Amino acid sequence: MDDLEQLYQTTYTAVVRFLYRKVWDADRAEDLAQEVFVRALAHRPEKPRAWVFAVAANLARDEARAAIRRKRHLTLMTNDPDQGPSPSMAADDQVERDERLTAVHDALDTLTPRDREVLLLWDGGLSYPEIAAQTGLAVGAVGTTLARARKRLVDAYDRQHNTGDNAAHS
Amino acid sequence: MRHIPDEELHAYLDQALSRAQCVEIESHLASCAGCSEARDGIAALRDRTTALLAALAPPRRFPPIIDDLREQAAARTARRDQARRVAVWAASIAAAVALGWGANAYVSRPHTGTPASIAASERTTRTPAARAVSTPASPDSLPGDERAARKDPAASDAASRTVSFTSAARREPELPPARAPLMAEPPRTEVSSATLPSAEGDAALGGIWRTLSWAGARDERGDSVPHLDGLPVVEVQVGPGKTGGNKSIMVVAQQLKSGEVIRTIEGPAADVSQLLSSRPGAASPSPWPSMESAGIAGGDGAMAMRHGDRMLAITAQLPNDSLRAMMRRLNAEMRQK
Repeated sequence: MDDLEQLYQTTYTAVVRFLYRKVWDADRAEDLAQEVFVRALAHRPEKPRAWVFAVAANLARDEARAAIRRKRHLTLMTNDPDQGPSPSMAADDQVERDERLTAVHDALDTLTPRDREVLLLWDGGLSYPEIAAQTGLAVGAVGTTLARARKRLVDAYDRQHNTGDNAAHS
Repeated sequence: MRHIPDEELHAYLDQALSRAQCVEIESHLASCAGCSEARDGIAALRDRTTALLAALAPPRRFPPIIDDLREQAAARTARRDQARRVAVWAASIAAAVALGWGANAYVSRPHTGTPASIAASERTTRTPAARAVSTPASPDSLPGDERAARKDPAASDAASRTVSFTSAARREPELPPARAPLMAEPPRTEVSSATLPSAEGDAALGGIWRTLSWAGARDERGDSVPHLDGLPVVEVQVGPGKTGGNKSIMVVAQQLKSGEVIRTIEGPAADVSQLLSSRPGAASPSPWPSMESAGIAGGDGAMAMRHGDRMLAITAQLPNDSLRAMMRRLNAEMRQK
């Protein structure tokens, strides 16, 4: 098993998650994650872990631009009344999970782009120096940024979700 | 002694500090109740953040086999070497497909206004050359059988992907049910004769393509005529698969409101992939990228999904994202039938 394969086994899911939190589409996130690793396998970068997340971040940015074009094409076909969840997904469980997802998504949206990026990269498994290299921050500033991002995320979530969500604490 | 600032405690808990720094912090924490309390608070905040972010995860799926990705990467590296040819080719996929299926339309009625026929008309001058270098004879074009055989080991992966795509289509209908009523009969189309130019000289696909009415297609295939519900059907064509008999390959052209023509194709996997990879006019065919991965695959202009030894595909001059969305919808619709 070479380094890249090992990285693939340990990091693929984290990359999908990282992308998902940017494009908000599970299939798209997976397609992009595969693209990231195909590129990694073709380029054999020196610092593959940092490289993989850097490419993922770029693809997600491109994706945001492409989404505008895509929307135009998709609307040509029909106008969608409502993309509500289908009945089969309406189990209580799912509803609860969706609500939670939306709440955290909203909370994440209250962060500044930089704070959000640092937090997501950290959650993706990058180290402080790797995060610093990717975001252009000084290594010393990563801790400050993370401290702020974590506090804001939790505060924002609690503000809109003050029913108390203790399950997550333990 | 100074107290420890929050960000330093974060870095400490994130294991981002040097050993010396850690020792310094730990010795301070041992003697300072305030900082020790702050440490606990930050540890809780940290855990809380991780738990919240964990909610933002897509449904877990099995990652694709790395060998599939390796194969794509290898193909990509190889393709870089022939970048120029590929660029020319990529730009003309849709035109090439249109040439294959649309040139006949052009011959009988030059300006129909559909993108397919326009594309065909732009390239009509190349048609004779296109026929001369028909793909089966070409050394680098991979025969469909080999292609299919090579993909078999990944078939299980393909199957799992297909399932997930289906459920995704159901969960987030990117393409809601269209409203345009499906025509009982196709409108009078320009194609009256039954042969396809690309198939004519193509010994491998062999035989004659027939144009069917919608009703005729339903008679022949019942519910399994490949099409997207709700879009008007422009044309249905059936070609004999290499194996003949029941294993025919069917191509249904439908028109979007925007006027673009999409073609859905269903048939034996080897035949469909060969049809998609046959590109009249290409002097030196490079492998069709959309066929490289076993499950769903795409290149500008085509998207395909494999079901056992059958293959379902869509071609149109549309961005990949649109094609992908249509492919998912088609797949979901066909499964319900």
